[in-house]
Amino acid sequence: MSRAADPSQTTTPPDPGSGQERAAPQPVRKRPPTPLDARGESMVWLTGGALTLALALIIGLILIIVVNGTRTFWPDPVQRVELASGEVFAGVEMSSEPDPDEGTRTLYRVGNRDIQRDTFRWVPDAEVVSAAPGAGLVMVDRLEWGVWLGKLESVAENGETVWSWGDDWSGFQRLLSDAAKRRAEIEKLAQDDLGSVNAQLEASRLRVKAAEIAASERIVATGMPFVAWVSALLVGAAGLFVAVRGVGGLAGRSATPIVRVAFGAVASVAVLAAGLEHPWAGEQMSPERLEAIAEREMEVQSSLGDRASAIEGEIRQLRAADESVRVALTDATGEQRAIDRRSSGDLSPPLSQVVRVARRNDAGLAHAVGVYFDRWWEYLSQPPRESNTDGGVMPVIFGTVLLTLLLCIAVVPLGVIAAVYLREYAKQGTVTSLVRIAVNNLAGVPSIVYGVFGLGFFCYTVGGYIDQGPENPMARFGAGGWWPLAVLVAILAPAGAAAVVLSRPAPGQRLSRREKLFRNLGVLLWGAVVAGAFVLIARTPYFGGLFEAQLPTPTFGGRGLLWASLTLALLTLPVVIVATEEAISAVPGSMREGSYGCGASKWQTIRRIVLPASGPGVMTGAILAMARGAGEVAPLMIVGAVKSAPDLPISGHWPFVHLERSFMHLGFHIYDLGFQSPDSEAARPMLWTTTLLLLTIVLTLNLVAIVVRARLRAKLHSGGGV
Amino acid sequence: MADQDGTGVQVQDAGGQARSGAARAYPVIDAIRAGQEVDAMVHDAVLREDAVLRVDGFRLYYGDSQALYDVSMPVPRGRVTAIIGPSGCGKSTLLRSVNRLNDLIPSVRVEGDMLLNGESVYAPDVDVIELRKRLGMVFQKPNPFPMSIFENVIYPLRIDGERNKRVLAEACERALKGAALWDEVKDRLKDSALGLSGGQQQRLCIARAIVADPEVLLLDEPCSALDPVATLKIEQLIHEISARYTVLIVTHNMQQAARVSDFTSFMYLGRLVEFGPTAELFQRPRLAETEDYVTGRFG
Repeated sequence: MSRAADPSQTTTPPDPGSGQERAAPQPVRKRPPTPLDARGESMVWLTGGALTLALALIIGLILIIVVNGTRTFWPDPVQRVELASGEVFAGVEMSSEPDPDEGTRTLYRVGNRDIQRDTFRWVPDAEVVSAAPGAGLVMVDRLEWGVWLGKLESVAENGETVWSWGDDWSGFQRLLSDAAKRRAEIEKLAQDDLGSVNAQLEASRLRVKAAEIAASERIVATGMPFVAWVSALLVGAAGLFVAVRGVGGLAGRSATPIVRVAFGAVASVAVLAAGLEHPWAGEQMSPERLEAIAEREMEVQSSLGDRASAIEGEIRQLRAADESVRVALTDATGEQRAIDRRSSGDLSPPLSQVVRVARRNDAGLAHAVGVYFDRWWEYLSQPPRESNTDGGVMPVIFGTVLLTLLLCIAVVPLGVIAAVYLREYAKQGTVTSLVRIAVNNLAGVPSIVYGVFGLGFFCYTVGGYIDQGPENPMARFGAGGWWPLAVLVAILAPAGAAAVVLSRPAPGQRLSRREKLFRNLGVLLWGAVVAGAFVLIARTPYFGGLFEAQLPTPTFGGRGLLWASLTLALLTLPVVIVATEEAISAVPGSMREGSYGCGASKWQTIRRIVLPASGPGVMTGAILAMARGAGEVAPLMIVGAVKSAPDLPISGHWPFVHLERSFMHLGFHIYDLGFQSPDSEAARPMLWTTTLLLLTIVLTLNLVAIVVRARLRAKLHSGGGV
Repeated sequence: MADQDGTGVQVQDAGGQARSGAARAYPVIDAIRAGQEVDAMVHDAVLREDAVLRVDGFRLYYGDSQALYDVSMPVPRGRVTAIIGPSGCGKSTLLRSVNRLNDLIPSVRVEGDMLLNGESVYAPDVDVIELRKRLGMVFQKPNPFPMSIFENVIYPLRIDGERNKRVLAEACERALKGAALWDEVKDRLKDSALGLSGGQQQRLCIARAIVADPEVLLLDEPCSALDPVATLKIEQLIHEISARYTVLIVTHNMQQAARVSDFTSFMYLGRLVEFGPTAELFQRPRLAETEDYVTGRFG
């Protein structure tokens, strides 16, 4: 209802003529009806509803993952299914759905891949005559060929039956654990002992190859005379002494840094020369020495070969003993039986092929629970088998956690240092704002782009440099040579320092034009020094690569854990920088002033006041980086995650940590299980479990970081003060 | 009062002048407002003192706007000198110029100099870090660092590279006793300083400021964020400390200046107006402006 429509509710405007005579009391203004949005808190329904919807979606997702992930390992009863056609088979009921034609149909897991094509089978319910847990039907987890569903008839040793179905179950358990021990022993011999011998053989071979390379390649260095070498060392030592200790009053107080840098530059050139061109550097490896090395390594290799064949003999013996114990497995009807596919005859498979037997139909709940946890333990502690659809994910967990830790180690210091510069040192202006915007935008670059960059830069460029040295090294002397450039850099460095010192204004004064000029000159000179140093390293003729002997097999020049974690570090760098910057800017200026007032330098203030106070914020950045890095898949597919990496990045062989190796990663593992698996039905339960595991790991890492952050906060604010 | 300017400045003795209420003449202020240079009224008693710090024709600019105009004043050794004046008169700026904290603001430019025990503060070759180590400073709001009480107190020694645990422990105890805080915190030196009350925090900051035996202790309105009880304690503390240290204190609380200081200077619009012994300045100020300011009729 509009107010104009009802004259009695409107206020009468005072008559301009009579207004001066007396102030008439204002009539009480009738208020318009309260609008809807002013009545109660109506929006609580909209906002609360939106939150509820979001929560329901998230909780639903987590619930589905948890339910499906945890039931994977539960041993369901094995059904004896009899069809109208008279066919009888053993199967585990998986799911049921409406048949596309009519009625409903049921999916059974039937296993036995070694005797039939399909391990899962859709059966229309109309064809089923009976389906009930059949007595004597078991589910056998095997090392190869997937599960066996059917009957466990007997165990025979050298053809004699030592146990048969119906005997005491503990007897079978004992036989099974004996077989597992034999298998473990064989594995240990093959993996550890034989692996170690093979590693030593490879090392010996590489030593010979390295010697051959050293003998055949043109030596770059010529070696300087002994006297020159000694004097270079002396000059280096003296220069370093002056650079480190300084010399009082040599060129006035303000010039001292220049003098130091100059001496340091001269010293570093002298030390570089002494190190690279020492008197013995020019000696080529003589053919005699090469021969001696080759001979020595030959001996080493032959003795290693003897050891290898001894171990192989041992393994053969153990294997023969292992294969003497065989297990008879038959299908539900007892007509077909499992056959050892490795042997030529129609022998039963060795008992050591059996991982565990779930006899849910004949044993109680306790047995089922035991199998359930046994399977969980295998899942967490064993490597995968059967192209990842069975077994465990231990290397995958290992790879994921190691990757995340390495990523953290790489990204946190770099991000914090960058953020400190942006917040504390950089002049806050247009350029800094632009840099800040650019850093924020980096977080939005698709991760696959980082992956491609990582492959090109880290794997091929940096890794290739580590493997085989610069691709086109510079000449040593002459125009555009390496040493002239080194000397030039050594001259430019103190010049840059001088320019920086001269560009400093007198206290309390603004920069004069001369000082601005020097400042720009200093920036230019230091840029040139950094660029020069970079070229010196990238194109040095003195470095031939650390892993030249291994070529053409790349060592660091390929996809690997180190490069993957550095790529992810790059990807998560903006997150850390932004979080740290925010934390730093939240440190009150009064604390900084207090520190300066005590006579602290800028760095001391940052190191002792600003960084500790922003610790929790840095932790937040690390948490976000870890969460993002651990869940990333796309770039990892490019820079190092693989479907199957039999060797862990940590081993018992020198150098123990092998960051150049490719690795397995949970995110990629999920992708592999879901979309690359040869048997997608068999992989599906594992997919759920692996997803649950990834969620758990990310959550655990975050939780740890959150707890650390909370403790940091408590330490900073104990007593609940400010 | 605005129509009485332009007659040149005659510094008159306000003590003998009749009080004429609201329409009083402020020759100095008017001259300042008219853009004329005025000389500060510095009492002879001040000049007779031995100065530990001598401000000499000091001018300071924030960008293009001038904040301090030709301030010259000695700070008597071993005494408490208060700087009073209305907000924005430059008293904090002057204090922060002594330990060159204003260097942190990029747009600041200064002219003139200060002499701390005869050594220049603003000469080009002065090491600012060393200079600040010779001075102690306490700020308006208590600003303890996010670390333990012990670490807070010995912070100036830590950054100086002192590692000897016994030396540090002794210095900490001495400073805390000097700041009248020892008895309250001696059992919880390892606790975070942020858990202390506001008054305790401010006394902690005083302990931190005196732990390295400063030549001058600079206090920038140290009680403005505290309640009356804590203020009283700090004032008592300033009184005790003044036996051993030279104190330069900025305050806009005139009663506080009267209670704690030996000398008081009155600043207005970036200029030193009058500087004399506290008793004289409060009871027999020579300028009408000072008298009306200290009695609360002007400001």
